[in-house]
Parts: sequence; structure tokens; C-alpha cells
Amino acid sequence: MSIEVKSFDTLRQASEVLGGSAQYIAGGTLLMRKVNYGDQSFNQLVQSTDPALKQIQSQGDEILIGAGVTMSEIMQHPQLQFLGEVARSVGGPAIRNMATIGGNLFAPRPYGDMATALLALDANLHWASGQQQSLEQFLERSDAARDIVHSISVRQPPTGAFQYLKVSRVKPKGVSLLTVAVLLNRENGRTGNVRIAFGGMAPEPRRAMAAEQALQGASLDESGIQRCLAACTEGMAPADDSLASSWYRNEVAPVYLKRLLLQRS
Amino acid sequence: MSRVEFRKDLFADERSDDLNEVGKPTIRQDIIGHVRGTTRFYDDHLFDGLLHMRCVRSPHHHARIRNINVSGAESMPGVRRIVMPSDVPNNLNTLLSLIGFGRDDEPLLSSAKVAYKGEPVCAVIADTERQARDAVAAIKVDWEVLPHVLDVEQAIQPDAPVVNETYPNNLFDYGRFDHQKLRFGDVHSAMQRADKIVEGQYQMSPIEQAPMETCGAIAAPETNERIVCHTATQALFFSLGTTAKLLDVPSSRLHFIGGTVGGGFGGKVDSITEPMAVLGALLTGKPVKFHWDREEEMQVGAPRGAERWVIRDGVMNDGSIIAREFTGYFDCGAYTRLSSYAIQKGVGHLPGPYTIPNVAANVYCVYTNRTPATAMRGFGITGVDFAIESHMDKVAEAVGMNPIELRIHNAYRDGDMKAHRRVAKNTALIECCQVAAQKSNWQLGPQYASASSLRDGGSTERAAIPETAVDMVGKIGERRSSSIAASPAQGTERVPAGQASELLSPLPLQHADMQIEPSRVGHTVKATAPLANAAGAPPPAATAHRETTQPPATQVSTPVSQQSPVSPPESLPASSTGSYQQPPRDQPAASPPEAPAVKPYEPQERFNKGMNRPGAARHLINRRRR
Repeated sequence: MSIEVKSFDTLRQASEVLGGSAQYIAGGTLLMRKVNYGDQSFNQLVQSTDPALKQIQSQGDEILIGAGVTMSEIMQHPQLQFLGEVARSVGGPAIRNMATIGGNLFAPRPYGDMATALLALDANLHWASGQQQSLEQFLERSDAARDIVHSISVRQPPTGAFQYLKVSRVKPKGVSLLTVAVLLNRENGRTGNVRIAFGGMAPEPRRAMAAEQALQGASLDESGIQRCLAACTEGMAPADDSLASSWYRNEVAPVYLKRLLLQRS
Repeated sequence: MSRVEFRKDLFADERSDDLNEVGKPTIRQDIIGHVRGTTRFYDDHLFDGLLHMRCVRSPHHHARIRNINVSGAESMPGVRRIVMPSDVPNNLNTLLSLIGFGRDDEPLLSSAKVAYKGEPVCAVIADTERQARDAVAAIKVDWEVLPHVLDVEQAIQPDAPVVNETYPNNLFDYGRFDHQKLRFGDVHSAMQRADKIVEGQYQMSPIEQAPMETCGAIAAPETNERIVCHTATQALFFSLGTTAKLLDVPSSRLHFIGGTVGGGFGGKVDSITEPMAVLGALLTGKPVKFHWDREEEMQVGAPRGAERWVIRDGVMNDGSIIAREFTGYFDCGAYTRLSSYAIQKGVGHLPGPYTIPNVAANVYCVYTNRTPATAMRGFGITGVDFAIESHMDKVAEAVGMNPIELRIHNAYRDGDMKAHRRVAKNTALIECCQVAAQKSNWQLGPQYASASSLRDGGSTERAAIPETAVDMVGKIGERRSSSIAASPAQGTERVPAGQASELLSPLPLQHADMQIEPSRVGHTVKATAPLANAAGAPPPAATAHRETTQPPATQVSTPVSQQSPVSPPESLPASSTGSYQQPPRDQPAASPPEAPAVKPYEPQERFNKGMNRPGAARHLINRRRR
């Protein structure tokens, strides 16, 4: 079985031939491994040269990022500084030069660090068909039939409000044992709106809703965040894998969340 | 280069400091090519029309093969040949058969059953790697899944499934026993005198060597019916001999080129990829590459095996360890590879760098339905060292002692007798502890800070081989019919003090001229070799035993761990099994041979280069094989 590669000028054309034995390829950091290892589930690769995939536009405090923007491009873009740290935590330089923000949304654990960060930032997806969807909705039923992601829009967080931590065994290029991203608006030393997202604690990046509620209006100190930490693994389903046991992840998730919350407050 | 501090003040009078290389920084001889990318690894040897070989592997831990359907794959584009187990001329081998250790127990391609996940059952040779992968995916194997066992202690229960038919008790054979014994002194009576008993269990996981370059080989026909093989092996002559044996070709037809290894660490000894590639070249007459991808390297590449150690110490309140007992399990996976040998090395290392007057160990080489285990750096001793040093901390806590002081207190010193009956020399644990304490600002009491490994060792008491209690528990096959405790049993008989061993009686010399003259041995030996196993004497070398009167076989035996590879356990005189009756086996056909060969070895035929006997590889020269 040989692999056939089809290229299209627009993303919409590409999305029309998807399905069956055709897979959409962007950076290829996950898909090319399957190609090299003889995956029998597909024999066509579909790509697109649509320039919209590479755009980065700001509209007010909202930024629209093309799905084909790579981790390296995010690191270099002045308006995407808040995501720079996240992009840098993905793979090594060679991976970052190829891996795209759109592809990261589909990356199974232990990958998907960017998706975790975007979930905390409440990003929205724009599909090639023109439809829009919040990232959270998409992740909740990520096995449903899909279109191709065209771009991602995200609101720039206030300075210091977004915090991110990736825990890995191998530094600096290891995969994530777990990843925490927090968006925290402060009002007079107390917390306002909070979003907490975990990567590696469930099959897909997942919000820690109970912890968010417990942190609402709390003071950011050891005792103030106690309830939040106690509730942070509620609803999570971490895996037992070669990196760590499910038990271990449940034990250390509150520890890392605590470090993140107290680090700059 | 990292900073190295040389403590030349220590043992200054034991070395001359005029060496050109030792103690000086040096550049690895091959590092320039590696860093600049100019090194040619095996995979850089390109051949026109190179074919690619890939294996069909078991998705199950343990399964019988009912049928393999290759009809779909045979007609696929690019497929040149499907390689079946019947294509391997001599499809059973064990790595250490080249030094006469262990029985052949592992097929190159399995035809009857698989005993670990990823075990190969057939292979495809195709024009491209992708075509080979597609054909592998199209081969349908009808599996009958069997119950499997993954835990070492479960595997030695009487009702555990048989993992490896060559060793139907799921245990490697060490002489008469299903484990390697070590006995020194009387652990059981010493434990009763001890103020405290400290027990701990330590479990290690398998560790994959994870080389950057995964295992592989390229073989191509050369002129004069030779096959050239470029390989990543770290053991070129092992790979050559193994290939010659499995494929039943004279080694003169094999031209092996190696020596450039992209990371080995013990994981490239096993010689699996070379016979596969050479077989492919022999069957197709074309250059063939057989190369593990990363997933195969992780799944079927043999790791350092998992080990489980239970240690029991009898300790006095002053911190003296007067007895130490080990029960060790090496998880060797489904086939032997190098685990059996690692155990012998590990047991020789017990009880660690400490002088303990009473030591007993039972160490088991256990077959489980896991990936076969093999060598890794620190062969055979890394796991047990982890266990021992963790346990030393536990003992220190139990007696309320500074852990470094406890180590110095029990450390071996020059002249002390070790449990495997060799005199310790060049010991430096005390000095290591002192320097480590100094570097970490760890306070030591004055008697520990001034201790020396050169002093206070080798006293009559510390240099003697004590009277040793021995037991006959755990003979081969016993565990299949009844539950026997795995830990060392209480001694029922005693070996007099000063006796090194009587069990290890070497085979008599075949020819008088094989007696090595002391003057021709490369190291210093006494002209009159120790015949009577005097106290404190090193165990007699095999050569010194010619005239030794062997103690009668009915006398008590002390199996100890000093077997050398040239006198493997199988060569023990079978008469030493005494009146012991082999219990009935599940698989009578697979029972280990019980050859009552007491007669001294005599060649059956005159020496001629190579032999032509059924069941023996021709390249092997007049070596007795079973």
C-alpha cells in the first residue's frame, strides 16, 4: 500500500475529501510516525497551502491564530508572548519547527500541552466550514466526526493572570506527566474569575470545575487555596502508564497546582 | 569535561604515579566522528536493491500458534519471501551455549507457541520497508491464548503455567538445585543470637538500555558463497558464532563487520538481528536489512531484568551485622539469554562490601511471560547493590546509628574472607565513606574518621572460612509438586571450618599436557597449589585440582558461587545427586537430561576441524553438546 499525498489551495477543498482512508496532515509530528510505522488505517494524506493557516491577526484584545502556526512561530510573535512559555515546553526545536497549534488540539496524551493552555484561556475554534465552537465543547466530545480547524481565537489575558506549568521527568524535552494551566483574575488580593485546566489527568485536557468554584473569592495563600487543592482532582481520570501511576498523578496534581497558584501571588 | 578530583593521598604507596593514561583526561577515540556526523554506522552501508525484513509478532503474553495464514501476504506487491520457522536450519539456541552454559531454549522464529508479547513467529522480506510492513499486517495468525504468569513468585508456584518447555519448572537449573545457593557460616543460629532482626524487600523494574541506534544488521551475498554482515552488535564474535549455529553454516562463510555501535550498554549482545539478516540474504540471494524500529527496541529488545530481593539481617545493638540472608528473584523473562549468568556474578558479590560472618542466599532465575532479560552495565550486581545499600540505611535506622558510621563499622577490610571464599584485597569502602562524609559535611565519630581498610582486617577470625551449615532443600523439580519456602532453609548438615567447597569438583584433565604450569600463568600463583583447602586460601583454581582427592559425593556439599564459565553447573558430576529421586514432571519430554556421566571425558572421535553430526552445528569444534 503506497501513500498518496493530495494538496489543495483552500482548506475547504481539503476538508471535502477527508474521511475514510484520508488523513489531514499539518506539521506531521504525530502523523508521520504512523506513516513510517506502516499504519494500515489510511493511505491518503491531505494537505492545504491555504495562506489563512499561517495568519496571526489581532482584533481588539482577541487574537486569531491560524491552525498551521507552529510552536516556533508562536514563540517569536510579539503578541503571543503569553503563549511563548507554553510553545517552548512542547518537544525540542525540531518538533517546535513543525508542530502546529491546530494539530496540538488533536494530540492524545501525553501530548496536548498547548490545548491545555488554550482550554484555560477559553479559546474558540473556527472550522473550515465556517462554524465556530468553544475548545471546551470540542474536547468534551473529541471522538465525534470532524472538520478541519481553520484557526483559533483567544483573548489576551491581563498581565500575570495566566500561569502554566508542565511536569515532565526528562528536562527540557520530556513529555508531560501532567500539565496545569490557570487563568486567574485578581481583585484586591482575592480571586475573581478562575479557569483551571489539567493536561494528562484525563484522556483529553480537562477543566477542574470543582477547584475553580472553591477558589472563587478565596485569598491566595496557603489556607485560602486549601479547599481548591482538595477538590482539584475531582472528575479527573488519570492513566496508569509508563510515566506514572494514576495514584501518583492524583497525589501530585494538588502539589503542583499549589506551587503554581502561590508562585507569583 | 566534568571536574575530577584525584585523592592521591589515599593508598599512595600502592601505586606508582608514572602512568601516561590512567588518571589523566582523554578524548574518546571515536567521539570526533560521532559529533561531526562522519561515523558510518551499520545502516550507512548502502546496497543496490536492498530488501527489507520485518517480523510478525505475538500480541499475547502466552499463546499457542494454531495456524499461520500467509496466503494474502505472499501475493502482495514487492514481497519476495515469507520466512517461516522451518526455514531456520537449527532453530533452537541459547546465547551462552557458545561457552557451554545452559541448554538451548529459544527459537529464532517460534513455531509452536509464543511466551512473551512481541515474540516473532515468521517474517516478510520485501522490496521496501512499507511493503514489508503491509505484508506483515496481512498475515493472519490463529492464536490459542494460554494463561500467563508475569510475577516471579507466582511463576514458581506448583500450579504456574509452564513458560519455557526447556525449563519446565520455570527455574533455571544450578547443579542439583533450582536456585543458586550461597552458604557461609550458620545464618539461622546467628539470627537467634542477634539483638534485632531487620527485614526488607526491594523491587527493581526492568530497564531498557535505549540506545540511539536501534538493533539491526544488513547482510549481503559476497563472492565465494560468503555473506557479509554489517551489524550494530556490541559482541561481534558472539553474533558470528550464534549466526553460524542457528543457520548451520560454517563461520568461515560469514564475514562480519562491526565495531561501530550507536549505543550498546548490554542491549546489543543478544545477536537476534544478525542471524535474521543473514538468513534473509541466504534465502533471497540479495542484500537484506533487518532493523528494529523504536517500538520493537522497547518491546522486544531485552532489558536489564527486574529483580526482587528480600534481605534479613541479624544485627547487634552496636551495629554489627552478624548474619545476612538473601532471597533473590531475577525475572529473566521467557528465555534465558544472560540472566542465569548474571545471577552467578551477583551471588559472588554477596553480601556486598561488608564482612559478615554468616551469610546465606537462595537466588532464583525465574521464567515469566515477559520480554527476555539480558545484560546491562554493572552486569548482575546493580540491582542487588541497590537492595543492599537501601537495607544498610534501614539497619542504621533500626539501631539508631549514623548510616555512614554503620557502613564503616561493617565494611570489609584487606585480608577478610568474603562469603564466596576469596580473600578481599584492595578494599576501599572505608575511604570512600570517609571522603563522601567529608564532601557532604557529614560528621563522623573519631574512631570512624580514623578507620582504614588497610588495618584490622584479616585477623584469624575475619580471615577464616567458618563452619558452614548446609541444606539440600530446593532440588530441581521439587517445587512443582510441593510448596517450599523460597528463603534459605535451616542447615541440616555441616561443612567443617576451613573447607572452601567440595561440590565443585572439576572434570579431570583430558591430557596431562593440559596442566598449566604455575610459571606460565599470567598472574602470580603459589607454586604448590592449595590442595587441602587450607583456611584463608583462595579457592583452588581448576588446574590445581588434578591430584586432589575428591571428598566422597555422599559427604555434605557446600554449593558456592564461584563457578567460572568454564566449569558450568551442568558439568557437575551427576553422581552427586546421590539418592535423590527426580519427581515426576509435567512434560517428561522436556525434562533436563539426567546423564549419569561419571566417566571422565573422552573424545568420541579424533579431532578434526568441525564436525558433522546431527544436532551439532558444524562450526563447533569437537565440543560435547547435549
